[in-house]
Amino acid sequence: MTKMTVTLRVWRQAGPSARGRFVEYAAEGVSPDMSFLEMLDVINEGLIRKGEDPIAFDSDCREGICGTCGFLVDGVAHGPDRGTTVCQLYMRRFTDGATITVEPWRARAFPVIKDLVVDRSAFDRIIQAGGYISVNVGAAPDAHAIPVPKSVADNAMDAAQCIGCGACVAACKNASAALFVAAKITHLNLLPHGEPEQHKRVVAMVDQADTAGFGSCSNEGECEAVCPKEIKLSTIARMNRQYARACWFDR
Amino acid sequence: MKLESRIPGGPLADKWDRHKFESKLVAPANRRKFTVIVVGTGLAGASASASLGELGYRVLTFCIHDSPRRAHSIAAQGGINAAKNYRNDGDSVYRLFYDTIKGGDYRSREANVYRLAQVSVNIIDQCVAQGVPFAREYGGLLDNRSFGGAQVSRTFYARGQTGQQLLLGAYQSMMRQVEAGSVTLFPNREMLDLVVIADRARGIVVRDLVTGRLESYAADAVLLCTGGYGTAFYLSTNAVNTNVTAAWRCHKRGAVFANPCFTQIHPTCIPVSGEHQSKLTLMSESLRNDGRVWVPKDPSDTRPPQQIPEGDRDYYLERRYPSFGNLVPRDVASRAAKGVCDEGRGVGETGLAVYLDFTDAIERLGANVIRQRYGNLFDMYQKITDENPYRVPMRIYPAVHYTMGGLWVDYNLMSTIPGLHVLGEANFSDHGANRLGASALMQGLADGYFVIPYTLPNYLAAAPVPAVTTDHEAFTEAEHAVQARIDRVLAVRGSKTPREFHRELGRLLWDDVGMTRNAESLSRALTTIPQLHEQFWQDVRVPGKPNNLNKNLEYAGRVADYLEFAEVMARDALERRESCGGHFREEFQTADGEAVRNDERFAHVAAWEFTGVGRAPLRHVEPLVFEFVKPTQRSYK
Amino acid sequence: MPMRPMKFLSSSVGTKVLIAVTGLAFFLFLILHLAGNLLIFVGPEAFNSYSHKLVSNPLLLVAEAGLAAIFLLHVVKAVVNFTANRHARPVGYAMKRWARHTSRKSLASTTMIVSGTIIFGFLILHLITFKFGTYYEDPTHHYRDLHRLVLEKFSHPGLVGFYVLCMTIIGLHLRHGLASAFQSLGIEHPQYNRLIRLGGVVLALLIAAGFAAIPIWVYFVGTR
Ligand SMILES: Cc1cc2nc3c(=O)[nH]c(=O)nc-3n(C[C@H](O)[C@H](O)[C@H](O)COP(=O)(O)OP(=O)(O)OC[C@H]3O[C@@H](n4cnc5c(N)ncnc54)[C@H](O)[C@@H]3O)c2cc1C
Ligand code: HEM
Ligand code: FES
Repeated sequence: MTKMTVTLRVWRQAGPSARGRFVEYAAEGVSPDMSFLEMLDVINEGLIRKGEDPIAFDSDCREGICGTCGFLVDGVAHGPDRGTTVCQLYMRRFTDGATITVEPWRARAFPVIKDLVVDRSAFDRIIQAGGYISVNVGAAPDAHAIPVPKSVADNAMDAAQCIGCGACVAACKNASAALFVAAKITHLNLLPHGEPEQHKRVVAMVDQADTAGFGSCSNEGECEAVCPKEIKLSTIARMNRQYARACWFDR
Repeated sequence: MKLESRIPGGPLADKWDRHKFESKLVAPANRRKFTVIVVGTGLAGASASASLGELGYRVLTFCIHDSPRRAHSIAAQGGINAAKNYRNDGDSVYRLFYDTIKGGDYRSREANVYRLAQVSVNIIDQCVAQGVPFAREYGGLLDNRSFGGAQVSRTFYARGQTGQQLLLGAYQSMMRQVEAGSVTLFPNREMLDLVVIADRARGIVVRDLVTGRLESYAADAVLLCTGGYGTAFYLSTNAVNTNVTAAWRCHKRGAVFANPCFTQIHPTCIPVSGEHQSKLTLMSESLRNDGRVWVPKDPSDTRPPQQIPEGDRDYYLERRYPSFGNLVPRDVASRAAKGVCDEGRGVGETGLAVYLDFTDAIERLGANVIRQRYGNLFDMYQKITDENPYRVPMRIYPAVHYTMGGLWVDYNLMSTIPGLHVLGEANFSDHGANRLGASALMQGLADGYFVIPYTLPNYLAAAPVPAVTTDHEAFTEAEHAVQARIDRVLAVRGSKTPREFHRELGRLLWDDVGMTRNAESLSRALTTIPQLHEQFWQDVRVPGKPNNLNKNLEYAGRVADYLEFAEVMARDALERRESCGGHFREEFQTADGEAVRNDERFAHVAAWEFTGVGRAPLRHVEPLVFEFVKPTQRSYK
Repeated sequence: MPMRPMKFLSSSVGTKVLIAVTGLAFFLFLILHLAGNLLIFVGPEAFNSYSHKLVSNPLLLVAEAGLAAIFLLHVVKAVVNFTANRHARPVGYAMKRWARHTSRKSLASTTMIVSGTIIFGFLILHLITFKFGTYYEDPTHHYRDLHRLVLEKFSHPGLVGFYVLCMTIIGLHLRHGLASAFQSLGIEHPQYNRLIRLGGVVLALLIAAGFAAIPIWVYFVGTR
C-alpha cells in the first residue's frame, strides 16, 4: 500500500486566553486508510517522544455519532466530504504532498479551550431551556396510545439525528446556531407527544440561543452543507414560522 | 466476605412487586435533603439523574465528556428489546426472561433478569412519550424487528441510531431537571476516587479536565454509571475514552468486581486495516437478518468474492446451525469466524475477515428495501473501507464489544460498599456470560428509570447517616492520593507513550485472554501483564502539565488502571475452568467445538476482592440458584 | 404564554422576519415603480401625465412616508443584524472555504451588506437627481415635465453607466434576498422550494433588467 506525506498547518493555542498561532507539522508515512484523527494520533505520538506538547483535539466514538470531534479542515467544517464528521474523514481523500490547514470552531459562544478543543456547553443550555418533552418517569401511557404517521416519525427522525457537534455554527458566517436549534424543535414539535409544549419550546430555545451570543440566519445554507447528518435547512423555516406564531398568537 | 444478593422471596413474577412494596420510601418533603451523586451520563446515568431529579432528590451528575449527550451509549445502533408482544408472535415477559437467561448461558440471576423483562415494556412507553422517534409502520404504530437470534420480533429501533435516540431522550429529560434546579451538571469531570466514610460511600474526588483542578463532592449515596471496560483490549467497538477507571478505583476502595473475564466479542465489525487503527467500527448485528456469512471452501481461493460460484462457498453458519443459521448468538458467530480464519480461509488483505453478503437479499427485496433498512450502515461501511457493499460483500471480523463483568451488585444494584450503587454496563449486570443483542440499552434504562428510583430510597430511608462535608479528612486523604498518582505518572518522563502501552496491553489481552483462551495462555498473561505494568511506571512519557487540559495525562491514568485491572481479568478467566458464553476455554469444548459448561462447579458469580496492588485478589462466590429455568446445554443447531 | 411582540421584534428570528417583510414590501414597490417608469417607452405624454397624477394625489405623502419607514426599518434592522452577527464571531478564520454540496452561498449572499449600502447611497442620489431635480414645466399641460429631465440626465454616459451598475447591484441583492425572505418567513415546502429559489432569481433579473433598460434606451434611442 502506498504511503503519503502531508504537511499540516495546525492552530495551536495553549489556553483560553493565550495567543494562538499556526504551527506546521510534517506527517510522513501516512496510510490512505487512516482516518484524519488517526493521522493526528501519529503526529502526536511523535510530538510526545520529542518532548513537545501534543495537539489537543477531542474525539470519542470515532464513528460519527457522538459529536465530540470537529474542526475545520482546509476551511471547511469536518472537511470536504458530504455528511461526515472529521473522525470519518479518511486520508485517501487527500493528495500526497498536500498542505492541510486545521483550525478550531470559532464563535463567541464556543470559546477555545486549547488548540482545537472548544467549549460547546452553550448547546446544552439551549436544550436545557426547552429541548425536551415534559413527561415524568412512570407517567407515560402505552406506547401505542398515540399513533404517529410514518412520514411524521420519519421526518422527526431526520431532524433528531443531530449530533450536536457544532459544525453548523462553525460554518455559518454569522456563527448562528439556527440549524441546531431548528433540528431539535422540528424533532419534538413534529411529534404529537411534543405538541402541547411546542410554543413554549420554540420561544425558550430561540431566546436562549440569542442570549448565548449566536448570530442569526442569513439563509446561506453552509450549515446544511457541512452537517454530518445532513439536517435540512427547511427545519429553520419551520422554526421561524413556529417562533412567529408562538410570539404573536399564543397566549 | 458473604455476597448477599438480597433477592426477595416468593414466586418469580411477584418478587419485584413485593420488593417494591417492602422497600422503604422517602417522603416528598425530605427528598431535597438527600444528595445523590451520579457518575456517568450514558443511558444508565442520564436516566437515573432524570428520574431521581423528578422525584425531588438533589442530584449531582458528572461525566468526562464536554456534554452529557456524548456518552458512549450514543453509539448503539441496533435496537432495544421489550416484551411488548405487539407482533402477536409468542413473546411474553417470561420468554424475554427465558431468552436472556439462556443467552447468558445460565450465569445470571433469575430474579434480576425477570425484573428486567418486566420493566422492559415500561421503557418503551417512557421513551415514546419523551419523543424518541422509533421506526413506525404505515398504520402509525411501532415497528419491530427480530434481533440477535431471537425467534420473536421484540426489538424496537430508530434507524441505525437507536442508542443515540434513547440517550437523547434521557439526556433531554435530565436537562429538564437541570432547568428545574434538581440536577446540577458537572461535565468535563473524571471521577478518580471514591470516598468511603464509616464504611459507606459518601463522595467522590474528580479532576476538572479543563482546569486540571481536583474537586471533592459529598453525598448520601453514589451511583456509578460509568460504562464498560471493553477498551482494555485497546481495539474495540467502544468509544476511545471508555475506561475502567471509576469502577476500578471503587474496587480499590472495597467494591468487589464480578466476572471480569466475561467479555463479549461482536461478530460483525469492520476488520483492522493497519497498525494506526484506533478503534473498530461495529456493523450492527441486524445486518445478519438479511446478510449471509460465508468464506471460500478452499483456503487457496483468492478470486474476488463475486467470481466465486455458489458451490465453492461455505456458508458455515447456515451449515453448522441449520435452525438459527446466520442468527446464532454473538459468541457462537464470533468463534465460528475465528475458526474459519484460523483454518486459513479468511478473506481480505489480512486474512482476518469473512464475507457478509447481501446479494440474495437485494435480489429478493430490491436494493431500495435494503437501503431503507441499513442505508446508514452501508454508507458508514463505504466511508471506512471505500468499498460499495451493495455490490461487493462486506468484510467483517469479530471485535471486543461489551463487557458483561463489572462491579458486583445485589438486587438493589448496591455494591459491597453500602451507598455505592452501580448501574448500566458498569455493573456485572443481568447478562450472565453473554449479552443478547438489544439488551444493554434495555438494562441501562431499566436500572435508571425503573429500578434505582425504588431501591435507592430504600437505602436512604433505612439508614440515616450523619451529614458529612468535603472537609472530612477522608476527602483530604483521597485528594492527596489522587494528586500523588498524577504527580507520579508525570514524573516518570520515560520514552514510551501511553498509547504504546495501551496498544501492547490490547494485543496481549486479545491474544491470550481473547475470544478463546486456555490455561497456558492465561498463565502467560499473568506474567506478561505485571511486567508491562512495571514497565509502564518506569518508562511512560506523559507530556505537559497537570493544571490544564491534558488528554495524555487522562489517558495515562486510564491505561495504568487497565494494567492493574487486566490481571484480574486473566485470573478470573483462569479460575473459571469451564466454557460459558463469551468465556471460551479451549480445554472445555465438545468434539465439534461447542462450549462445555460446568454447572456443578461454576454455576456461580465470581467476585474479586482487592487486597493491594501486586497482591493476589481474593475470589468470592455467589452461587446461582435456578428455581425456574433448568440450565441446559445451549444449542442453536 | 402572553403575546410578546416586542420580544419577537428584537429576537434573531424576528429581526430576520422584519428584514424579510420590509425587503419584500420594498420589492413590491419596486415593481410598481418599474411599471410606471416603463411608460417612458410609450412617450412623454403618458409618462408625464402618470407622474402628475401620482404627485397630485393627496395620499402620496402618506405612501411616501410609509415607504420611507419601511425602507429605513429594513436598513436599520439589517445593519443592527449585521453588527450582531459580526459580534457572534470575534475571531475570524485564517482559511474559510465554500462548503459546496447543498450550500446556497453565492456572491450575492456574501455581499448583502455591501450591496445594501450601495443601494442606500444610490437611493439618495436618485432622489436628489429626479425627485428634487430641476423643475421643468410642460408648456402645454402646465405640469412637471419629468420626461425632459430624464432625457437630459441620461444623455450623460457616466450617469447611465452608474445607473446600470446600481441596477445590477439591486438585482444582486434581490437574487439572494427574495428566496431568503421566504425562508425567513418560514414559507417553504419541499415541492416548491426550487420554484421559490428560481422565482427569486428570475424576478431579481427582471427588476434589474427592467430598470436598467430605461437609461440605456434613453441614451441610445430616446434622446435622438
Ligand atoms: C458500537 C456499539 C453498538 C451497540 N449497540 C447496542 C444495541 O444495538 N443494543 C443494545 O442494547 N446495546 C448496544 N450496545 C451496548 C450499549 O450501548 C452499552 O452497553 C450501553 O449503552 C452502556 O450504557 P451505560 O449508561 O452503562 O454507559 P455509557 O453509555 O458508556 O456511559 C458512561 C458514562 O460514564 C462517564 N464516565 C466514564 N468514566 C468516567 C469517569 N472516570 N468519571 C466520570 N465519568 C465517567 C462517561 O462520560 C459516560 O457519560 C452497543 C455498544 C456499542 C459499543
Ligand atoms: C432596493 C431596496 C432593497 C430591497 C428591495 C431589499 C430587499 C431585501 C430582501 C428581500 C432581503 C432578504 C431578507 C431575508 O433574508 O430574510 C434583504 C436582505 C438584506 N438587506 Fe435589503 N433590500 C433593499 C435595500 C437594502 C439596503 C439599503 C440595505 C442597507 C444596508 C440592505 C441590507 C440588507 C442586508 C444586510 C440584508 C441581509 C440580511 C441577512 O444577512 O440575512 N438592503 N433585502
Ligand atoms: S468522535 Fe464521535 S463524532 Fe467524531
